[in-house]
Amino acid sequence: MLDAILFERVGVPAIAVVTEPFRATGEAMATSWGMPGYRFLEVPHPIANLDDKQLDERADRLVEEVLDLLRRASS
Amino acid sequence: MSVTAEPDPASLIEAYFERGWTDGLPVVPPTEKSVAEMLASAGLRRDEILGEIRGRNTVVVAEKVAINAVLAGCRPEYMPVVAAAIRSLCHPDFAYHGPASSTGGSAMVLIVNGPIARRLGLNSGNNAFGQGWRPNATIGRAVRLTMMNAMQTRPGFLDRAVLGNPGKYSFCFAENEDDHPWEPLHVARGLRPDQSAVTLYASNSLYQVYNQLAAEPEPLLRCFADALSNLGLPNVKGFNQVLLVIAGEHAEVVRQSGWSRRQVQAFLIEHARRRVADLKRAARLPGEPTPADETTWRYFLEKPDDILIVCAGGRAGSWSACLPGWGNKWTNAVTTAIGEFP
Repeated sequence: MLDAILFERVGVPAIAVVTEPFRATGEAMATSWGMPGYRFLEVPHPIANLDDKQLDERADRLVEEVLDLLRRASS
Repeated sequence: MSVTAEPDPASLIEAYFERGWTDGLPVVPPTEKSVAEMLASAGLRRDEILGEIRGRNTVVVAEKVAINAVLAGCRPEYMPVVAAAIRSLCHPDFAYHGPASSTGGSAMVLIVNGPIARRLGLNSGNNAFGQGWRPNATIGRAVRLTMMNAMQTRPGFLDRAVLGNPGKYSFCFAENEDDHPWEPLHVARGLRPDQSAVTLYASNSLYQVYNQLAAEPEPLLRCFADALSNLGLPNVKGFNQVLLVIAGEHAEVVRQSGWSRRQVQAFLIEHARRRVADLKRAARLPGEPTPADETTWRYFLEKPDDILIVCAGGRAGSWSACLPGWGNKWTNAVTTAIGEFP
């Protein structure tokens, strides 16, 4: 989350990916860096115990959302 | 004649609860006078910066810490310890954001050494981790309240503890330097015996080690090594610090044996280990166990100085404790000398 915020601050489009239970944490971090309302991508939880196939499926479903957020960031 | 209504203390305490400025227990409402006394006791200016948490975009100012020390119930003479603990929290080696935010829910363990511990009446003996001593209870509480109120570390937001632990209210004790097998912790970490210091260490659990029969260090230390290599420990990911608190009867066994601190650390490095196959069967490592995994060891500890050994607790009883570190090598214990302002 912090990496994405710091990239955005220097003009590099970036996306933070946060699992759903950490939404409030992501919002708190963005607020502490003076960027309340900073948009990030929310994904289902958990991730660590998925196998490669499940992880690939999860990633494939996210591609369009990642691109959409990137386009918004750079527009 | 004019009458100024003093706020009712009970309603003030309720107001602090409503604002979310407490740990769930009643606080002592601060006044200009009590905050000024707290600052003066540590020789601090109101606007003095005690540290910075870069990952949180947060600067910690002395006045905020003093307010939280009053809230916690500290006496003014405790403030130098609180200030030194906050400096440790802000030290880059501690890497605050990890242990403070993590799902592991670490307690911020404070170990106080040197003359100030005795002067303040910090408990290092019976029930050293328990209730009943004001400096132990309130110094650690002041640090946690500062984390919540001045360092944005609120449960559910930037404190994501899954369970947390009771040590998150306060975890502060003094080392028993009198019955110690060796030099005290702050001296082992580079300070002089006549200095006072606080060592900050992040731990997400406390495991009491029992052994009544051991009369030599080796069988006793096997129990410690076993406790430090449980399948569920985060340490499987690699070589974080651990804290051992050796109490009365066990400290005496080590002291009588003549074993050095380095010998104890070397023994634990050699024996805190699990077979790779065990770790794979428990899904602590990925993959299926191979025949070679049945005879291949994975070690949990690496460097002697990663094993902090402290002496505390009552003289009677066969109990000591292991406190595994928060789950990653990112954080390290930090010892800060405590300034004295007589």
